[in-house]
Amino acid sequence: MAGSSAVLEDSSILSRLDRGLLKLETFFALISGIAVFMLMVLAVWSVGGRKFFASPLAGYVDWIEAAMPFIAIMGIAYTQRMGGHVRMDILIGQLKGRALWAAELLSVVLILLLMLALTWGAWAHFDRSFDMGAPMWSRDSSIDIGLPIWPSKLVVPVAFAVISLRLCLQIWGYGRALVLGLERPVAVPLVQSAAEQAMAEAEQLDGRD
Amino acid sequence: MDPIEIGLWVSGGMLLMVVLGMRVAFAAAMAGLIGLIWIFWAKKGMEWDQLGWALTVAIKTAGQVPHSKVSSQTLSLIPTFILIGFLAYYAGLTKAIFEAAKRWFAWVPGGLAVSTVFATAGFAAVSGASVATAAVFARIAIPEMLKIGYNKQFAAGVVAAGGTLASLIPPSAILVIYAIIVEQDVGKLLLAGFIPGAFSAVVYAILIIGIAMIWKNVGPPVTGFTWRERFASLPAALPIVAVVVIIIFFVYNPFGDAWGTPTEGGAVGAFIVFCMAVFRGMRLAELKDALLETAKLTVMIFTIIWGVLIYVRFLGFADLPGAFAEWISSLETSPMLILICILLAYAVLGMFMDAIGMLLLTLPVVYPAVMALNGGEFVSAADSAFGMSGPMCAIWFGILVVKMAEFCLITPPIGLNCFVVAGVRPDLSVQDVFRGVMPFFVADAVTIGLLVAFPQIVLWLPSLAG
Amino acid sequence: TEWNASVWGKRRAFTEHVEKIAELVSEKTNGEFTINVSYGGLSKNRENLDGISIGAFEMAQFCAGYHADKNRAITVLELPFLGVSNLEEEVAVSRAVYAHPAVAKEMAQWNAKMLMTSPMPQYNLVGTGDPRTTLEDFDGMRVRATGGLGKAFEAVGAVPTSVTSSEAYNAMESGVVDTVAFAQHAHLSFGTINKADWWTANLNPGTVNCPVVVNIDAYEALSDAEREALDGSVDEALDHYLANYGELLERWDTVLEEKGVEKVEFSPEVIAEFKAKAADPAREAWIKDMEAQGIPGQELYDLVIETLEKEQASN
Ligand code: NA
Ligand code: NA
Repeated sequence: MAGSSAVLEDSSILSRLDRGLLKLETFFALISGIAVFMLMVLAVWSVGGRKFFASPLAGYVDWIEAAMPFIAIMGIAYTQRMGGHVRMDILIGQLKGRALWAAELLSVVLILLLMLALTWGAWAHFDRSFDMGAPMWSRDSSIDIGLPIWPSKLVVPVAFAVISLRLCLQIWGYGRALVLGLERPVAVPLVQSAAEQAMAEAEQLDGRD
Repeated sequence: MDPIEIGLWVSGGMLLMVVLGMRVAFAAAMAGLIGLIWIFWAKKGMEWDQLGWALTVAIKTAGQVPHSKVSSQTLSLIPTFILIGFLAYYAGLTKAIFEAAKRWFAWVPGGLAVSTVFATAGFAAVSGASVATAAVFARIAIPEMLKIGYNKQFAAGVVAAGGTLASLIPPSAILVIYAIIVEQDVGKLLLAGFIPGAFSAVVYAILIIGIAMIWKNVGPPVTGFTWRERFASLPAALPIVAVVVIIIFFVYNPFGDAWGTPTEGGAVGAFIVFCMAVFRGMRLAELKDALLETAKLTVMIFTIIWGVLIYVRFLGFADLPGAFAEWISSLETSPMLILICILLAYAVLGMFMDAIGMLLLTLPVVYPAVMALNGGEFVSAADSAFGMSGPMCAIWFGILVVKMAEFCLITPPIGLNCFVVAGVRPDLSVQDVFRGVMPFFVADAVTIGLLVAFPQIVLWLPSLAG
Repeated sequence: TEWNASVWGKRRAFTEHVEKIAELVSEKTNGEFTINVSYGGLSKNRENLDGISIGAFEMAQFCAGYHADKNRAITVLELPFLGVSNLEEEVAVSRAVYAHPAVAKEMAQWNAKMLMTSPMPQYNLVGTGDPRTTLEDFDGMRVRATGGLGKAFEAVGAVPTSVTSSEAYNAMESGVVDTVAFAQHAHLSFGTINKADWWTANLNPGTVNCPVVVNIDAYEALSDAEREALDGSVDEALDHYLANYGELLERWDTVLEEKGVEKVEFSPEVIAEFKAKAADPAREAWIKDMEAQGIPGQELYDLVIETLEKEQASN
């Protein structure tokens, strides 16, 4: 199972677009990480308030539920850029050259079709909860404190649109590698051997203990 | 075509996509979406002018799932548990716990290896991820073992196996995922993980001591630590104890009312480790890295979760789990034999798949079947096949499959923990690690056998919690 | 014709009318028209209206308090202390409100049409610790109560904390809440009664309103015979529901005794005080809020009260 992979860079338009989009993706992923941190703070606040000050935080569950899409979905394109979505590479790992790029290309084209469909579906889900004529534009609200739900529903199609852009770049990258018969194409995550990958993971942990 | 037939075709197609190397989350979501289109279209008699309607309804139904399913308070445990693990590195907890384990346990035969197992078990109490645990201890423990003349392969095997304890002993992302999929009480599942996790560690330790007594050169004991040195090693490892105590007290307080939900317990644990890391001088850039890594891992897990849940939504319309459960419970074979076959199937599947993907893909169908086998979700212990009530069976089976999933982390050809250990140590090949970890297959088989034969090991703690 | 009905949880008193209507419809059409009841397989409970709107399934149950902004008009039925005292009255007021054009119009936004209600008795509290018998006792109380009921307790200083019904037992055990407001069947099926020290017998603060709806397109696509079978089975399904719930209520006192749960009776003065503090401002705020959005709040509220008076006079 591939966890993370290397992405090469050069001065081509593709690579520059890749790095440009990466800035946006990193920003989104950071929002997700900060939201996890806030989740922790919120829980400590809620417990502390309840245990020590007899003033529990109103709507605690509503706030957490509203935060979860930010945590769980905003970083989806960043993870795809890094090759971080797991897969079984026991077969694909055996392929080399054009056969490998063809297989990768097929896979990202299918994922793009899926994500375009889901972007639409998630937008429709948002749209049902959004009403320009209603107070706070809300046609769906949370159970305890009546928070409008549309902002957290909107996160999903936005994040899905960004990963769709990412997939377009990857189609370009793999397509180019397939046509030109490249060995180390830029802007796409390269399959690493299990050992290379473990090494990279270990490096990440360096200096952390 | 009837829905169950559609269900089987789509499930087969999904497994094919996964084997061919499509990212698991998207393969599952794709299968679910295609299945939904198919089932809605079949409902309208597969008329061509109805295909557009079926597409729209299926896409809108699937499009609800990501937001709907991730907006859950219980699932918020996962990012918190992941964050604890990353913060623990900065808090210096790994070194501290290994040092303490060494001073307390290294005097027995195979002493350093035993200490490593107990240190990984201790670290498991703050880490939710097995692979990370193996990577960390490959750096800390292997060099020390080699220094005093341990067999290289054996030392690597100890670390790879010890790493697997992290998912059984809470906090554990994988136990939370199991609880979500099967809709059972997260708190009780986490509690249930403690004893089997500690039990696995003890079985590992006994195995190591046995090996060390038979083959003298495997690992000499390390002696000479004074009691003063032993106690001096404890304070640095204290946050781990604090996290364990907090999680237990949040879920089940033996002295009165518990303190809160498991979610809150996880968050307070993370906060303590965070304070510890800040105290140890963690910088803002490091915090940013930890948050990005947490986000990446969290998103990876959640994408699989909602992807699989789109597939599960389709299964709901196809009613495949119901049909499978009916079929399993109609078999004449003894329930225990069927259960053992299911566990063996997991062992085989796990040779090729990672733990979370494997559980998410199979549980929606397998879990209802196991529950039906025991006599249903609300069966009493007296009327059941395995001698336990429905909810208890859910907990017991959960611990069994998680232990199976952990076992798969050290079995060839895809044993992630072994890859990681070999990756960290350039002087070790993957084959070396697989060879060294082989004795632990026996230990795991024994552990699983005992957990099957004596469910009380799993169920005692959660049954105290009411 | 084959319909799917999306409900949640497990089969219980609360879903008996849906099971019954499926049975009746199939009988009356000789199996031509069947309804499969799915417990959570088709949708999350808070998204059943979305599923109806999409057309993913044809029938669904939901509760108004789960998402007030999706169904503003019927939240009138969740206002605290309306004075509804039994299930028959609950059926009558729900039926009247569901027939109001403002409700039909709002439901049409979801492509939904009201079929019947799922009448619930008053949501009395179970609690741990010393019984709370005065308004002051409610101060700082962490109560699991949703919608209008939650607001009512908030008005006297309590903190509404919504955990889902399936987490209510845990929340009680872990001290996240110290009281839970449920109907009797839910106190039984979610186990909160096992954790309780006391139950408020006569607080009767209000209830939740959980309609069963059908998808308009699917309803209109039915043959005349099928539609007649469906519409004609509503009364019988509700009668079955009431009879079934009645048996459960008869058992209730025995259950309290077995579990050693104390019955707390409030004095009329305390209830009047609670009503003045919680019900009157909540009602005024609700009406003002609805009128501002073009929903006839006053008219809906008056309709409830009139129907209730008529119902009580006729018995
Ligand atoms: Na752990
Ligand atoms: Na394996």
